[in-house]
Amino acid sequence: MIDESKQDLLIQYLLNELDSSTAEKIGDELQANAELRDFVRETEDALASMACGWPPMKAPAGLPQRILQQERNLAKGLTSRSRARIVQLVLPWALAACLAVVCVVLAMERTSLEKKTEQVSQELLSLQQKNSRFEEELTMLQKKNARLEQDFATQQKKNVLAELKIATLKAQVAAYRSASAVVVWDKDQESGVLQLDRLPPPATGRDYQLWVIDPKIAQPVSAGVLSVPNAGLIRTSFHPVSPIESAAAFAISLEKAGGAPKPEGQIILVGK
Amino acid sequence: MDAVQTLPFEVAWSDLIPSVQAHNGDRKRVPTSGMTDPVQESESAFEAKLIRRIAEGDPSAFDALYKRFSGSLYCLAYRMMNDAKEAEDVLQEGFTYLWRKAASYDPNRSSPFAWAVMITRNKAIDRLRVRQRLEKIREKATSEESFFQNKDETSANEPTLRERSAMVRSALQEIPQEQRQALELAFFGGLTHEQIAERLETPLGTIKARIRRGLLRLRDCLKEGL
Repeated sequence: MIDESKQDLLIQYLLNELDSSTAEKIGDELQANAELRDFVRETEDALASMACGWPPMKAPAGLPQRILQQERNLAKGLTSRSRARIVQLVLPWALAACLAVVCVVLAMERTSLEKKTEQVSQELLSLQQKNSRFEEELTMLQKKNARLEQDFATQQKKNVLAELKIATLKAQVAAYRSASAVVVWDKDQESGVLQLDRLPPPATGRDYQLWVIDPKIAQPVSAGVLSVPNAGLIRTSFHPVSPIESAAAFAISLEKAGGAPKPEGQIILVGK
Repeated sequence: MDAVQTLPFEVAWSDLIPSVQAHNGDRKRVPTSGMTDPVQESESAFEAKLIRRIAEGDPSAFDALYKRFSGSLYCLAYRMMNDAKEAEDVLQEGFTYLWRKAASYDPNRSSPFAWAVMITRNKAIDRLRVRQRLEKIREKATSEESFFQNKDETSANEPTLRERSAMVRSALQEIPQEQRQALELAFFGGLTHEQIAERLETPLGTIKARIRRGLLRLRDCLKEGL
Protein backbone atom coordinates (compact mmCIF):
# COMPACT_ATOMS: atom_id res chain seq x y z
CA MET A 1 0.00 0.00 0.00
CA ILE A 2 1.40 3.35 -1.06
CA ASP A 3 0.78 6.15 1.41
CA GLU A 4 -0.69 9.45 0.29
CA SER A 5 2.47 11.51 0.60
CA LYS A 6 4.25 8.98 -1.61
CA GLN A 7 1.36 9.11 -4.05
CA ASP A 8 1.61 12.92 -4.11
CA LEU A 9 5.32 12.65 -4.83
CA LEU A 10 4.72 10.15 -7.64
CA ILE A 11 2.03 12.40 -9.14
CA GLN A 12 4.44 15.33 -9.04
CA TYR A 13 6.97 13.07 -10.71
CA LEU A 14 4.47 12.34 -13.48
CA LEU A 15 3.64 16.03 -13.84
CA ASN A 16 7.34 16.76 -14.22
CA GLU A 17 7.42 19.07 -11.21
CA LEU A 18 10.36 17.55 -9.37
CA ASP A 19 13.95 18.66 -9.60
CA SER A 20 16.26 16.36 -11.51
CA SER A 21 17.92 14.69 -8.52
CA THR A 22 14.58 13.83 -6.84
CA ALA A 23 13.20 12.62 -10.17
CA GLU A 24 16.27 10.42 -10.59
CA LYS A 25 15.73 8.87 -7.17
CA ILE A 26 12.09 8.19 -8.00
CA GLY A 27 13.21 6.61 -11.26
CA ASP A 28 15.52 4.28 -9.33
CA GLU A 29 12.72 3.39 -6.93
CA LEU A 30 10.44 2.56 -9.81
CA GLN A 31 13.04 0.24 -11.22
CA ALA A 32 13.12 -1.68 -7.99
CA ASN A 33 9.47 -1.53 -6.88
CA ALA A 34 6.78 -3.12 -9.04
CA GLU A 35 3.92 -1.73 -6.92
CA LEU A 36 5.18 1.83 -7.40
CA ARG A 37 5.70 1.11 -11.07
CA ASP A 38 2.14 -0.12 -11.50
CA PHE A 39 0.77 2.89 -9.66
CA VAL A 40 2.74 5.29 -11.83
CA ARG A 41 1.75 3.53 -15.02
CA GLU A 42 -1.96 3.52 -14.18
CA THR A 43 -1.88 7.13 -13.00
CA GLU A 44 0.06 8.18 -16.08
CA ASP A 45 -2.53 6.52 -18.29
CA ALA A 46 -5.27 8.39 -16.43
CA LEU A 47 -3.39 11.66 -16.90
CA ALA A 48 -2.82 10.91 -20.57
CA SER A 49 -6.48 10.15 -21.04
CA MET A 50 -7.20 13.79 -20.29
CA ALA A 51 -5.62 14.55 -23.66
CA CYS A 52 -8.39 12.68 -25.43
CA GLY A 53 -11.16 13.99 -23.26
CA TRP A 54 -12.01 16.42 -26.04
CA PRO A 55 -12.61 15.75 -29.71
CA PRO A 56 -9.31 15.39 -31.56
CA MET A 57 -8.28 18.33 -33.71
CA LYS A 58 -7.14 18.03 -37.27
CA ALA A 59 -3.38 17.96 -37.02
CA PRO A 60 -1.25 19.71 -39.65
CA ALA A 61 -0.84 17.55 -42.73
CA GLY A 62 2.64 16.70 -43.91
CA LEU A 63 4.23 17.30 -40.53
CA PRO A 64 5.90 13.85 -40.37
CA GLN A 65 7.45 14.47 -43.78
CA ARG A 66 8.68 17.87 -42.64
CA ILE A 67 10.14 16.35 -39.48
CA LEU A 68 11.88 13.56 -41.40
CA GLN A 69 13.23 16.02 -43.96
CA GLN A 70 14.47 18.22 -41.13
CA GLU A 71 16.14 15.23 -39.50
CA ARG A 72 17.76 14.23 -42.77
CA ASN A 73 19.02 17.77 -43.30
CA LEU A 74 20.28 17.84 -39.75
CA ALA A 75 22.05 14.52 -40.22
CA LYS A 76 23.63 15.82 -43.42
CA GLY A 77 24.61 19.03 -41.67
CA LEU A 78 26.04 17.06 -38.78
CA THR A 79 27.88 14.81 -41.16
CA SER A 80 29.32 17.72 -43.11
CA ARG A 81 30.09 19.57 -39.88
CA SER A 82 31.63 16.40 -38.48
CA ARG A 83 33.70 16.07 -41.61
CA ALA A 84 34.68 19.71 -41.42
CA ARG A 85 35.48 19.28 -37.74
CA ILE A 86 37.47 16.14 -38.45
CA VAL A 87 39.28 17.98 -41.21
CA GLN A 88 39.89 20.89 -38.85
CA LEU A 89 41.18 18.55 -36.18
CA VAL A 90 43.08 16.16 -38.35
CA LEU A 91 44.45 18.47 -41.02
CA PRO A 92 46.94 20.35 -38.80
CA TRP A 93 48.15 17.08 -37.32
CA ALA A 94 48.32 15.50 -40.74
CA LEU A 95 50.29 18.48 -42.01
CA ALA A 96 52.53 18.34 -38.96
CA ALA A 97 53.03 14.61 -39.48
CA CYS A 98 53.81 15.18 -43.15
CA LEU A 99 56.22 17.95 -42.23
CA ALA A 100 57.88 15.71 -39.66
CA VAL A 101 58.20 12.91 -42.21
CA VAL A 102 59.59 15.35 -44.76
CA CYS A 103 62.05 16.68 -42.14
CA VAL A 104 63.16 13.16 -41.28
CA VAL A 105 63.52 12.28 -44.96
CA LEU A 106 65.42 15.50 -45.62
CA ALA A 107 67.64 14.92 -42.58
CA MET A 108 68.38 11.40 -43.79
CA GLU A 109 68.93 12.72 -47.28
CA ARG A 110 71.21 15.41 -45.92
CA THR A 111 73.20 12.88 -43.89
CA SER A 112 73.44 10.66 -46.93
CA LEU A 113 74.48 13.60 -49.11
CA GLU A 114 77.04 14.71 -46.55
CA LYS A 115 78.51 11.21 -46.56
CA LYS A 116 78.49 11.17 -50.33
CA THR A 117 80.03 14.63 -50.45
CA GLU A 118 82.74 13.50 -48.05
CA GLN A 119 83.30 10.39 -50.14
CA VAL A 120 83.38 12.44 -53.33
CA SER A 121 85.74 14.94 -51.70
CA GLN A 122 88.02 12.12 -50.65
CA GLU A 123 87.77 10.61 -54.10
CA LEU A 124 88.43 14.01 -55.62
CA LEU A 125 91.43 14.48 -53.37
CA SER A 126 92.60 11.01 -54.26
CA LEU A 127 92.03 11.75 -57.94
CA GLN A 128 93.86 15.05 -57.62
CA GLN A 129 96.75 13.23 -55.99
CA LYS A 130 96.61 10.63 -58.71
CA ASN A 131 96.42 13.38 -61.28
CA SER A 132 99.48 15.01 -59.77
CA ARG A 133 101.23 11.70 -59.91
CA PHE A 134 100.05 11.16 -63.46
CA GLU A 135 101.19 14.64 -64.40
CA GLU A 136 104.55 13.92 -62.85
CA GLU A 137 104.65 10.59 -64.63
CA LEU A 138 103.52 12.30 -67.81
CA THR A 139 106.29 14.84 -67.47
CA MET A 140 108.72 12.05 -66.85
CA LEU A 141 107.31 10.11 -69.78
CA GLN A 142 107.45 13.16 -71.97
CA LYS A 143 111.07 13.62 -70.98
CA LYS A 144 111.64 9.95 -71.61
CA ASN A 145 109.83 10.28 -74.87
CA ALA A 146 111.95 13.23 -75.82
CA ARG A 147 115.00 11.25 -74.93
CA LEU A 148 113.67 8.28 -76.80
CA GLU A 149 112.90 10.43 -79.79
CA GLN A 150 116.40 11.77 -79.62
CA ASP A 151 117.66 8.23 -79.24
CA PHE A 152 115.45 7.16 -82.06
CA ALA A 153 116.69 9.95 -84.29
CA THR A 154 120.21 9.06 -83.38
CA GLN A 155 119.43 5.44 -83.94
CA GLN A 156 117.80 6.23 -87.24
CA LYS A 157 120.88 8.03 -88.28
CA LYS A 158 122.86 5.08 -87.10
CA ASN A 159 120.54 2.75 -88.95
CA VAL A 160 120.82 4.68 -92.15
CA LEU A 161 124.55 4.26 -92.05
CA ALA A 162 124.11 0.68 -90.91
CA GLU A 163 121.79 -0.10 -93.79
CA LEU A 164 124.11 1.35 -96.36
CA LYS A 165 126.42 -0.95 -98.25
CA ILE A 166 129.32 0.43 -100.20
CA ALA A 167 130.92 -1.72 -102.75
CA THR A 168 133.81 -0.95 -104.99
CA LEU A 169 133.65 -2.73 -108.31
CA LYS A 170 136.94 -3.83 -109.84
CA ALA A 171 137.67 -4.56 -113.43
CA GLN A 172 137.66 -8.21 -114.53
CA VAL A 173 138.94 -7.44 -118.01
CA ALA A 174 142.24 -5.78 -118.72
CA ALA A 175 140.77 -3.37 -121.22
CA TYR A 176 138.82 -1.82 -118.41
CA ARG A 177 141.61 -1.80 -115.86
CA SER A 178 141.51 1.99 -115.48
CA ALA A 179 137.77 2.11 -115.01
CA SER A 180 136.33 2.29 -111.51
CA ALA A 181 132.89 2.02 -110.13
CA VAL A 182 131.47 2.48 -106.62
CA VAL A 183 128.01 1.37 -105.54
CA VAL A 184 126.28 2.73 -102.48
CA TRP A 185 123.31 0.39 -101.69
CA ASP A 186 120.50 1.36 -99.37
CA LYS A 187 119.03 -1.81 -98.01
CA ASP A 188 115.86 -0.22 -96.75
CA GLN A 189 115.13 1.65 -99.92
CA GLU A 190 116.31 -1.27 -102.08
CA SER A 191 117.97 1.24 -104.31
CA GLY A 192 121.40 2.53 -104.81
CA VAL A 193 123.73 5.00 -106.42
CA LEU A 194 126.41 4.08 -108.90
CA GLN A 195 129.39 6.24 -109.65
CA LEU A 196 131.51 5.42 -112.75
CA ASP A 197 134.73 6.87 -113.79
CA ARG A 198 136.84 6.33 -116.87
CA LEU A 199 134.54 3.71 -118.30
CA PRO A 200 134.57 3.95 -122.06
CA PRO A 201 131.26 4.14 -123.88
CA PRO A 202 130.13 0.74 -125.15
CA ALA A 203 130.50 -0.30 -128.74
CA THR A 204 127.60 0.18 -131.08
CA GLY A 205 124.88 -2.40 -130.49
CA ARG A 206 126.13 -3.02 -127.05
CA ASP A 207 125.11 -1.62 -123.56
CA TYR A 208 126.47 -1.86 -120.10
CA GLN A 209 124.02 -3.48 -117.70
CA LEU A 210 124.20 -3.36 -113.88
CA TRP A 211 123.32 -6.52 -111.89
CA VAL A 212 122.61 -7.11 -108.21
CA ILE A 213 123.55 -10.53 -106.90
CA ASP A 214 121.35 -11.85 -104.12
CA PRO A 215 122.39 -15.28 -102.77
CA LYS A 216 118.77 -16.22 -102.30
CA ILE A 217 117.91 -15.57 -105.91
CA ALA A 218 119.24 -17.95 -108.54
CA GLN A 219 119.81 -15.36 -111.23
CA PRO A 220 121.42 -11.91 -110.84
CA VAL A 221 118.75 -9.24 -110.76
CA SER A 222 118.96 -6.52 -113.37
CA ALA A 223 119.37 -3.00 -112.04
CA GLY A 224 119.05 -1.46 -115.44
CA VAL A 225 121.05 -0.49 -118.53
CA LEU A 226 123.72 2.14 -117.90
CA SER A 227 123.93 5.16 -120.06
CA VAL A 228 127.59 5.88 -120.60
CA PRO A 229 128.01 8.59 -123.22
CA ASN A 230 131.64 9.28 -122.38
CA ALA A 231 134.41 8.05 -120.19
CA GLY A 232 134.05 10.76 -117.61
CA LEU A 233 132.65 10.70 -114.11
CA ILE A 234 129.08 9.46 -114.16
CA ARG A 235 126.71 9.16 -111.21
CA THR A 236 123.37 7.50 -111.51
CA SER A 237 120.81 5.92 -109.22
CA PHE A 238 119.34 2.53 -109.86
CA HIS A 239 116.52 0.24 -108.79
CA PRO A 240 116.60 -3.56 -109.27
CA VAL A 241 113.67 -4.92 -111.28
CA SER A 242 112.67 -7.31 -108.51
CA PRO A 243 112.96 -7.15 -104.68
CA ILE A 244 116.35 -7.77 -103.18
CA GLU A 245 116.62 -9.24 -99.76
CA SER A 246 120.33 -9.13 -99.44
CA ALA A 247 122.65 -7.50 -101.93
CA ALA A 248 125.78 -9.58 -101.70
CA ALA A 249 127.56 -8.23 -104.79
CA PHE A 250 127.17 -5.93 -107.76
CA ALA A 251 128.35 -6.47 -111.29
CA ILE A 252 128.44 -4.62 -114.62
CA SER A 253 128.33 -6.67 -117.77
CA LEU A 254 128.48 -5.82 -121.46
CA GLU A 255 125.21 -6.91 -123.02
CA LYS A 256 123.43 -6.45 -126.26
CA ALA A 257 121.82 -3.09 -126.80
CA GLY A 258 118.80 -2.57 -124.55
CA GLY A 259 119.99 -5.09 -122.01
CA ALA A 260 119.00 -8.66 -121.27
CA PRO A 261 116.67 -10.21 -118.65
CA LYS A 262 119.53 -12.31 -117.36
CA PRO A 263 123.30 -11.88 -117.76
CA GLU A 264 124.55 -13.11 -121.14
CA GLY A 265 127.57 -10.96 -121.83
CA GLN A 266 130.93 -10.68 -120.21
CA ILE A 267 131.31 -9.23 -116.68
CA ILE A 268 133.48 -6.19 -116.82
CA LEU A 269 133.39 -4.91 -113.25
CA VAL A 270 132.38 -6.69 -110.07
CA GLY A 271 132.49 -5.97 -106.36
CA LYS A 272 131.16 -6.96 -103.01
CA MET B 1 -3.50 1.25 -48.83
CA ASP B 2 -0.41 3.46 -49.07
CA ALA B 3 0.96 2.05 -45.86
CA VAL B 4 1.07 -1.43 -47.38
CA GLN B 5 3.07 -0.20 -50.36
CA THR B 6 5.63 1.84 -48.46
CA LEU B 7 6.41 -0.42 -45.53
CA PRO B 8 9.88 -1.81 -46.26
CA PHE B 9 9.75 -4.70 -43.84
CA GLU B 10 7.77 -7.83 -43.40
CA VAL B 11 4.28 -6.96 -42.25
CA ALA B 12 1.51 -9.18 -41.07
CA TRP B 13 -2.07 -8.43 -42.08
CA SER B 14 -2.88 -8.12 -38.42
CA ASP B 15 -0.33 -5.34 -38.21
CA LEU B 16 -1.86 -3.45 -41.06
CA ILE B 17 -5.46 -3.40 -39.94
CA PRO B 18 -4.99 -0.89 -37.09
CA SER B 19 -2.82 1.25 -39.38
CA VAL B 20 -5.60 1.38 -41.94
CA GLN B 21 -8.00 2.38 -39.22
CA ALA B 22 -5.70 5.19 -38.21
CA HIS B 23 -6.15 6.76 -41.64
CA ASN B 24 -9.66 7.56 -40.71
CA GLY B 25 -8.59 9.84 -37.91
CA ASP B 26 -7.35 9.78 -34.36
CA ARG B 27 -7.42 6.56 -32.45
CA LYS B 28 -10.12 5.69 -30.06
CA ARG B 29 -8.45 5.80 -26.73
CA VAL B 30 -9.45 5.22 -23.25
CA PRO B 31 -6.56 3.98 -21.16
CA THR B 32 -5.42 2.47 -18.96
CA SER B 33 -3.08 -0.48 -18.68
CA GLY B 34 -5.01 -1.48 -15.62
CA MET B 35 -8.04 -1.99 -17.77
CA THR B 36 -8.65 -5.32 -19.37
CA ASP B 37 -10.03 -4.16 -22.70
CA PRO B 38 -8.40 -6.61 -25.19
CA VAL B 39 -8.88 -4.21 -28.09
CA GLN B 40 -7.07 -1.55 -26.13
CA GLU B 41 -4.25 -3.95 -25.29
CA SER B 42 -3.95 -4.98 -28.92
CA GLU B 43 -3.76 -1.36 -30.00
CA SER B 44 -1.16 -0.64 -27.35
CA ALA B 45 0.93 -3.59 -28.52
CA PHE B 46 0.62 -2.44 -32.12
CA GLU B 47 1.65 1.09 -31.18
CA ALA B 48 4.62 -0.28 -29.23
CA LYS B 49 5.60 -2.19 -32.37
CA LEU B 50 5.34 1.00 -34.39
CA ILE B 51 7.65 2.74 -31.92
CA ARG B 52 10.15 -0.10 -32.25
CA ARG B 53 10.05 0.32 -36.04
CA ILE B 54 10.50 4.05 -35.65
CA ALA B 55 13.56 3.32 -33.53
CA GLU B 56 14.86 1.33 -36.49
CA GLY B 57 14.36 4.37 -38.69
CA ASP B 58 11.18 3.34 -40.48
CA PRO B 59 9.42 6.46 -41.87
CA SER B 60 6.20 4.62 -42.65
CA ALA B 61 5.83 3.56 -39.00
CA PHE B 62 6.41 7.15 -37.98
CA ASP B 63 3.71 8.28 -40.37
CA ALA B 64 1.34 5.64 -39.04
CA LEU B 65 1.92 6.65 -35.42
CA TYR B 66 1.42 10.28 -36.34
CA LYS B 67 -1.92 9.46 -37.87
CA ARG B 68 -2.95 7.64 -34.72
CA PHE B 69 -1.79 10.18 -32.11
CA SER B 70 -1.61 13.57 -33.79
CA GLY B 71 -5.27 14.55 -33.38
CA SER B 72 -5.29 14.10 -29.60
CA LEU B 73 -1.78 15.46 -29.16
CA TYR B 74 -2.52 18.51 -31.28
CA CYS B 75 -5.64 19.07 -29.21
CA LEU B 76 -3.57 18.81 -26.05
CA ALA B 77 -0.95 21.21 -27.42
CA TYR B 78 -3.61 23.64 -28.55
CA ARG B 79 -5.32 23.48 -25.20
CA MET B 80 -2.07 24.22 -23.42
CA MET B 81 -0.72 26.90 -25.79
CA ASN B 82 -4.04 28.38 -26.90
CA ASP B 83 -2.44 29.19 -30.23
CA ALA B 84 -2.62 27.13 -33.41
CA LYS B 85 0.88 28.00 -34.62
CA GLU B 86 2.46 27.31 -31.27
CA ALA B 87 0.44 24.13 -30.94
CA GLU B 88 1.83 23.00 -34.30
CA ASP B 89 5.35 23.84 -33.15
CA VAL B 90 4.82 21.84 -29.97
CA LEU B 91 3.48 18.93 -31.99
CA GLN B 92 6.49 19.09 -34.30
CA GLU B 93 8.91 19.21 -31.38
CA GLY B 94 7.10 16.33 -29.68
CA PHE B 95 7.17 14.10 -32.73
CA THR B 96 10.76 15.06 -33.48
CA TYR B 97 11.67 13.97 -29.96
CA LEU B 98 9.67 10.79 -30.45
CA TRP B 99 11.54 10.04 -33.71
CA ARG B 100 14.90 10.59 -32.07
CA LYS B 101 14.18 8.88 -28.75
CA ALA B 102 12.00 6.00 -29.91
CA ALA B 103 14.74 3.58 -28.94
CA SER B 104 14.47 4.73 -25.31
CA TYR B 105 10.78 3.85 -25.05
CA ASP B 106 10.15 1.25 -22.33
CA PRO B 107 6.80 -0.53 -22.74
CA ASN B 108 7.01 -1.76 -19.14
CA ARG B 109 6.88 1.78 -17.79
CA SER B 110 4.41 3.56 -20.06
CA SER B 111 1.83 2.85 -22.67
CA PRO B 112 2.80 4.32 -26.07
CA PHE B 113 0.00 6.88 -25.95
CA ALA B 114 0.83 8.01 -22.38
CA TRP B 115 4.50 8.27 -23.39
CA ALA B 116 3.58 10.43 -26.39
CA VAL B 117 1.21 12.58 -24.30
CA MET B 118 3.86 13.22 -21.66
CA ILE B 119 6.42 14.12 -24.32
CA THR B 120 4.03 16.59 -25.92
CA ARG B 121 2.98 18.02 -22.58
CA ASN B 122 6.61 18.50 -21.51
CA LYS B 123 7.39 20.27 -24.78
CA ALA B 124 4.43 22.55 -24.27
CA ILE B 125 5.46 23.30 -20.68
CA ASP B 126 9.00 24.10 -21.84
CA ARG B 127 7.58 26.63 -24.25
CA LEU B 128 5.21 28.05 -21.67
CA ARG B 129 8.03 28.52 -19.23
CA VAL B 130 10.44 29.93 -21.75
CA ARG B 131 7.99 32.44 -23.10
CA GLN B 132 6.68 33.36 -19.69
CA ARG B 133 3.19 33.22 -20.86
CA LEU B 134 1.92 31.31 -17.89
CA GLU B 135 -0.43 34.01 -16.69
CA LYS B 136 -2.20 34.26 -19.98
CA ILE B 137 -2.48 30.52 -20.23
CA ARG B 138 -3.69 30.15 -16.66
CA GLU B 139 -6.69 32.31 -17.37
CA LYS B 140 -7.69 30.15 -20.27
CA ALA B 141 -6.55 26.82 -18.93
CA THR B 142 -10.00 25.78 -17.87
CA SER B 143 -11.74 27.25 -20.88
CA GLU B 144 -13.07 24.73 -23.36
CA GLU B 145 -14.89 26.83 -25.91
CA SER B 146 -12.21 27.32 -28.52
CA PHE B 147 -11.37 23.65 -29.11
CA PHE B 148 -14.47 22.67 -30.87
CA GLN B 149 -14.13 25.24 -33.62
CA ASN B 150 -11.08 23.41 -35.02
CA LYS B 151 -12.09 19.94 -34.18
CA ASP B 152 -11.42 17.12 -36.60
CA GLU B 153 -14.91 16.41 -37.87
CA THR B 154 -13.86 13.17 -39.47
CA SER B 155 -12.52 11.79 -36.26
CA ALA B 156 -15.31 13.16 -34.14
CA ASN B 157 -17.88 11.55 -36.30
CA GLU B 158 -16.45 8.15 -35.74
CA PRO B 159 -18.97 6.59 -33.34
CA THR B 160 -16.54 4.66 -31.22
CA LEU B 161 -14.16 7.56 -30.86
CA ARG B 162 -16.96 9.92 -30.05
CA GLU B 163 -18.19 7.45 -27.51
CA ARG B 164 -14.75 7.12 -25.94
CA SER B 165 -14.20 10.84 -25.91
CA ALA B 166 -17.52 11.29 -24.27
CA MET B 167 -16.55 8.63 -21.77
CA VAL B 168 -13.48 10.57 -20.72
CA ARG B 169 -15.49 13.78 -20.52
CA SER B 170 -18.08 12.03 -18.40
CA ALA B 171 -15.36 10.64 -16.19
CA LEU B 172 -14.01 14.14 -15.74
CA GLN B 173 -17.52 15.30 -14.88
CA GLU B 174 -17.64 12.68 -12.16
CA ILE B 175 -14.77 14.39 -10.45
CA PRO B 176 -15.71 17.20 -8.05
CA GLN B 177 -15.28 20.61 -9.66
CA GLU B 178 -12.46 21.79 -7.38
CA GLN B 179 -10.51 18.56 -8.01
CA ARG B 180 -11.01 18.82 -11.76
CA GLN B 181 -9.96 22.45 -11.72
CA ALA B 182 -6.74 21.67 -9.85
CA LEU B 183 -6.08 18.69 -12.10
CA GLU B 184 -6.58 20.68 -15.29
CA LEU B 185 -4.44 23.54 -14.03
CA ALA B 186 -1.70 21.04 -13.33
CA PHE B 187 -2.05 19.02 -16.53
CA PHE B 188 -3.00 21.59 -19.16
CA GLY B 189 -1.73 24.74 -17.47
CA GLY B 190 1.60 23.26 -16.56
CA LEU B 191 1.41 24.80 -13.11
CA THR B 192 3.13 23.25 -10.16
CA HIS B 193 1.26 22.34 -7.01
CA GLU B 194 2.66 25.45 -5.33
CA GLN B 195 1.62 27.71 -8.21
CA ILE B 196 -1.91 26.28 -8.15
CA ALA B 197 -2.12 26.76 -4.39
CA GLU B 198 -1.02 30.34 -4.83
CA ARG B 199 -3.40 31.00 -7.68
CA LEU B 200 -6.41 29.48 -5.93
CA GLU B 201 -5.35 30.88 -2.57
CA THR B 202 -5.63 27.41 -1.12
CA PRO B 203 -3.23 25.54 1.14
CA LEU B 204 -0.68 23.39 -0.68
CA GLY B 205 -1.77 20.27 1.15
CA THR B 206 -5.32 20.77 -0.02
CA ILE B 207 -4.18 21.20 -3.62
CA LYS B 208 -2.10 18.05 -3.39
CA ALA B 209 -5.07 16.16 -2.02
CA ARG B 210 -7.41 17.53 -4.70
CA ILE B 211 -5.06 16.55 -7.49
CA ARG B 212 -4.41 13.13 -6.01
CA ARG B 213 -8.02 12.37 -5.38
CA GLY B 214 -9.14 13.75 -8.72
CA LEU B 215 -6.58 11.73 -10.61
CA LEU B 216 -7.31 8.52 -8.75
CA ARG B 217 -11.02 9.08 -9.25
CA LEU B 218 -10.49 9.58 -12.97
CA ARG B 219 -8.42 6.42 -13.09
CA ASP B 220 -11.06 4.44 -11.27
CA CYS B 221 -13.89 5.81 -13.39
CA LEU B 222 -12.13 4.91 -16.59
CA LYS B 223 -11.18 1.50 -15.22
CA GLU B 224 -14.75 0.78 -14.31
CA GLY B 225 -16.04 2.18 -17.60
CA LEU B 226 -18.09 4.65 -15.61
